[in-house]
Amino acid sequence: MASVRISELCAEIDAKVHVPGDMDREVERAAVGDLLSFVMGSDADGAAWITVQTHLNVAAVAVLKDIPIIIIASGREPAADLFERCRAEGIALVSAAASVFDTCVKLGRLGISG
Amino acid sequence: MADPIHLEYEVAADDYQAAGAASNSVKETLKMLGLPTAISRRAAIITYEAEMNLVIHGGGGKIVANIDEESVELMTIDEGPGIPDVEKAVQEGFTTAGDRAREMGFGAGMGLPNIKRNADVFEIFTEVGTGTTLRTVINLP
Repeated sequence: MASVRISELCAEIDAKVHVPGDMDREVERAAVGDLLSFVMGSDADGAAWITVQTHLNVAAVAVLKDIPIIIIASGREPAADLFERCRAEGIALVSAAASVFDTCVKLGRLGISG
Repeated sequence: MADPIHLEYEVAADDYQAAGAASNSVKETLKMLGLPTAISRRAAIITYEAEMNLVIHGGGGKIVANIDEESVELMTIDEGPGIPDVEKAVQEGFTTAGDRAREMGFGAGMGLPNIKRNADVFEIFTEVGTGTTLRTVINLP
């Protein structure tokens, strides 16, 4: 398992950075899910979170799970209030043009595990 | 911890914007009290799901947290429609949530199961047409 800086992770997935958060923080794991209760109930604590949900409640879950970076995949863009909340909470918010699957593959290449 | 701590939060019906505020406050309080991360994580999951239940189903309501040296008690009280079949409601995958909630990634029938899994005590008092009280307790190590 590798520790990867968020800035490095963003470069790998060619992310559009909406909120930088703490780009020097490192993550080892990633989680995928669009059902918020699924992510809440999972062991996603501290992981990078890949989702296609774009609304404000995504930030609420990220805060509760200590998730340092939200990656919105498949070319979707975050809602304005999600952007604002992430900025207030210091959570990195980025989007990726690639699909959820392709984004995961790229993170896997960096040594990030599930 | 000298005195027990009592917290109360009002949750409004259909207010998806504010959802997560009570759970975050409970989590932060437990962290501040120096309780183990595992405990604050469980409390956060319970409170978040309970909060969403009030937003989606309960017509709004109240969340109450009582923290003492032995346990964290988390309760939600609403005057909503009540739960006709509790056994069904706690089954994974069963939901009565509407389209809006589902589109946002809620309403997958995971809320009450998530709560039950993280609680040492899990009780539902409900009456159709009157409301629902959910009581959970996490025992402290």
